[in-house]
Amino acid sequence: MNKLINRRGFLQGSLVASAAATVSLAKKSEAATFEGYPNAMGVLVDLSRCVGCRSCEAACNKEQNLPAPAKPFNDFSVFDEMQHGQKRRTDETRYTIVNRYDIPGREHPLFRKIQCNHCQEPACLTSCFVNAYTKTPEGAVIYDPDVCVGCRTCMVACPFYIPTFRYSSAFHPRIMKCVFCYDTRLTKGLPPACVESCPQEALTFGRRSDLLDMGKQRIRENPGAYVDHIYGEHEAGGTAWMYISPAPFEQAGFDVTVPKEPILNYVKDFLSIVPMVLTIWPALFAGFHLLATRKDKMEQQKKNENEGEV
Amino acid sequence: MNAFISNKQEIPIASHVKPDGGAWSIKEKLWLGLSRDEYKAQFLRNPVNWALIVIFAVGVPIILQRYLFGLGSITHASNDYPWGLFLGFGLFGMVPLSASGFLLGTTVEIFGRKDFVPIERLALLNGLLGYFFAVVYLEVDLGMPWRLYYPMFVSLGPAAVLFLVAWHVATYLSVQVAEVSSAYFEWIGWLKGKRFIKSIAVGLTISGIILSTLHQGALGALFTYAPAKVHPLWFSANFQWIHFFCSAIFAGLSMVIVASALCKKYMAWRCDRRFLDSVDELTLGLGKGCAYAMITYLVIKLVGVAHDNDWAHLLTGWGQYFLLEIGVAVVLPMFMFAVGVKNRLVGMVRWAALISVLGIVWNRLNTSMICFNWQLYQEIPHWKEVWTTVTIFALYFIVYRFILYRLPILYQWQGEK
Amino acid sequence: MTINPKAVLAAAVLLLAGTLTTPGRAMDQLDAPETVTIDALADLYKPVEFSHKRHAQLARCKDCHHHTTGQQDMDPNCVRCHAQSPETGRVSCQDCHIKKQFYPEQVIAGNNPNIYHIDKPGLKGAYHLNCVPCHIKKNAPSECDSCHALTDKGRDFFHVGGEKNGKAGPAKGKDEHAR
Repeated sequence: MNKLINRRGFLQGSLVASAAATVSLAKKSEAATFEGYPNAMGVLVDLSRCVGCRSCEAACNKEQNLPAPAKPFNDFSVFDEMQHGQKRRTDETRYTIVNRYDIPGREHPLFRKIQCNHCQEPACLTSCFVNAYTKTPEGAVIYDPDVCVGCRTCMVACPFYIPTFRYSSAFHPRIMKCVFCYDTRLTKGLPPACVESCPQEALTFGRRSDLLDMGKQRIRENPGAYVDHIYGEHEAGGTAWMYISPAPFEQAGFDVTVPKEPILNYVKDFLSIVPMVLTIWPALFAGFHLLATRKDKMEQQKKNENEGEV
Repeated sequence: MNAFISNKQEIPIASHVKPDGGAWSIKEKLWLGLSRDEYKAQFLRNPVNWALIVIFAVGVPIILQRYLFGLGSITHASNDYPWGLFLGFGLFGMVPLSASGFLLGTTVEIFGRKDFVPIERLALLNGLLGYFFAVVYLEVDLGMPWRLYYPMFVSLGPAAVLFLVAWHVATYLSVQVAEVSSAYFEWIGWLKGKRFIKSIAVGLTISGIILSTLHQGALGALFTYAPAKVHPLWFSANFQWIHFFCSAIFAGLSMVIVASALCKKYMAWRCDRRFLDSVDELTLGLGKGCAYAMITYLVIKLVGVAHDNDWAHLLTGWGQYFLLEIGVAVVLPMFMFAVGVKNRLVGMVRWAALISVLGIVWNRLNTSMICFNWQLYQEIPHWKEVWTTVTIFALYFIVYRFILYRLPILYQWQGEK
Repeated sequence: MTINPKAVLAAAVLLLAGTLTTPGRAMDQLDAPETVTIDALADLYKPVEFSHKRHAQLARCKDCHHHTTGQQDMDPNCVRCHAQSPETGRVSCQDCHIKKQFYPEQVIAGNNPNIYHIDKPGLKGAYHLNCVPCHIKKNAPSECDSCHALTDKGRDFFHVGGEKNGKAGPAKGKDEHAR
């Protein structure tokens, strides 16, 4: 009887396992490498052109109906604001920020615009357990507040520190992040509001593949004017927003330690062991159980036999 | 509870039958057979309860504030440190400390070590409550706590590590409820339920092992989403999940040692002879397990450093901090376990267990907060965030104690089982 | 002598809106109008009264106009192809640089594999990229509002408080995001 019960227990165990295994199979297929949509749009940011006028910040605020800023957008004292020793960053009231970098040895400072880079294989998307993020064929990484649980894993996963959380609301919290003006402009083929507002055309909107050509052409045809690197061509597996800069990127506040491959690649090691554990563990431990309790069983059997003889 | 220790020598309510021959009602069982006044008197006599009252008096309003005015009202609302103490301690710390359930379950049910039976239920309960309160912490931390079930039923993102954590913790929580329910069934006297649980015990235990391996590992794997944010010494794309899983083994065992020591010292009235007589011996047995798990952990931790070639980092300030953690939280308790087990020094094993419990919490806080964003700045939690964390932990303590007082965890139910 | 960020503000300006050109005829400074009202892009900023005469005294035609103004282009990169290019009648910026930069028509036009000038700025970009660096170099005024004044709409846009609009901009925000 005992044996029967054990077998039943074991079967139940393996049922759970196989159900879970099905889930993990789906996991594998979705984790396949993704090269990006062919006609996805992007923006090339040329730091040599940006003069820090903050028009893009103002345009974004208006387009996305964000709360009014503490200081007007033509107040340039914000460039000196520091928090925790850090320059300004995106938060729940602003999807984009321009920061100033005074670089030793350069006559003029550089200005760097920060917003969502709209990765080809976004870490926020791959880390989200409710599929709140979508990478659209147009190139935008958009967010669905209706399914978001507020776990903020996307914020941990984003190598560019872009998604922010509306901590100020108890009843309507959500992730706040640049969506490439997806619903209001991108789907109509229009450039995002920040791009359209830029007087210096420091922001160039176009197909990502064209922008790469353009960036390389600018670097090639203006010898010495740029560092020979397009930030975002490979960073985090490639991003829709890319940068070219006249000074080394780290001097303009870029994190050059961001991996040159999708963040998901770092997680694949773990994801690949999941099916193994699910399939091998039940058999392994059931085996251990049978081995470990064999002696008891034999003794019991012996006892039964003895009783039978008597 | 000194009332019991001083007044009555025997264990209160350990069977369905009253000393006078009648049957205890559930209500009487809940009140431990005391009158309201007696119960109140023993409650007020205990200084621990006064401390708890203070914690709650400040903590409950803070928690209300969180639910009425948002997370930003009690934390620093950091976008750089999205995860604070609620997850750093509550989830990443509580879950490894709750690995005890599946470890002792495996020892007893799978490996047939029946000698660990007296402590098995304590380990199972410790596991269940640890997980349950990890979920409570999560409910404080989640932006939209009312959507806790979304990853299960509304919008599924199966390619995410957190999806695995959510499903496995939820499933494992139900497995643990089933495992612990046999004690509850004995207590209310529903034998059918108890026998059913017993009949599926092996299946439950094996699914417990699978689920635990995966979600303990998955909690580590969550940090592989932040390769550029976690300090290289605390990060390993290949070994992160093994580090977390392996350290959960000695964390869970150590937590049982600590809990059983506390029970023996402060709750002896609730323990039966079987528990009291065997707990020292079992502590040594668990300590041996801890020592083995720790040496394994130490080796793979070094393998992790070697694999990513992080040796140069060891020479920096962060490296010294890393070595301090390894030295104090792993090597020291490991030697204490080894020496304690060899020379049968139960006291030393218990201190070692306490160090390793604190050490594992330290490790998880290091990974999730202190060595996270190591190139930015250090976030220091808001005092209200700290207080909330303490308040939830106090609630955990109260529930833990409430159950130990009543259910047959530390003692065997007498009569039909 | 640092770049003043204000130097560049948004949408203003249309250069040479009224320039009359006669195809096939070499032109010099004297052919140019005295002032040009640049208003084609005026929206957030008021139109600019551009003193063409004054600028023509300070610089050569080709310093601002790439070609076809009677002086051969010297930019080695342009000369590669345009050394022998005949003069054309198109000297107005907006004849080549379009107002609706990055709009779908332009993105589609970029599909033509024969186009060399894949990186041609739009009209607004052309003005600012042309004017601002020189203003900075020559220590001329380079604040945004030293060339063009904000309109009321522009003040709203930048959330500039004060006289006209006491309340700064659309503070609605919040629940529009709750979709």
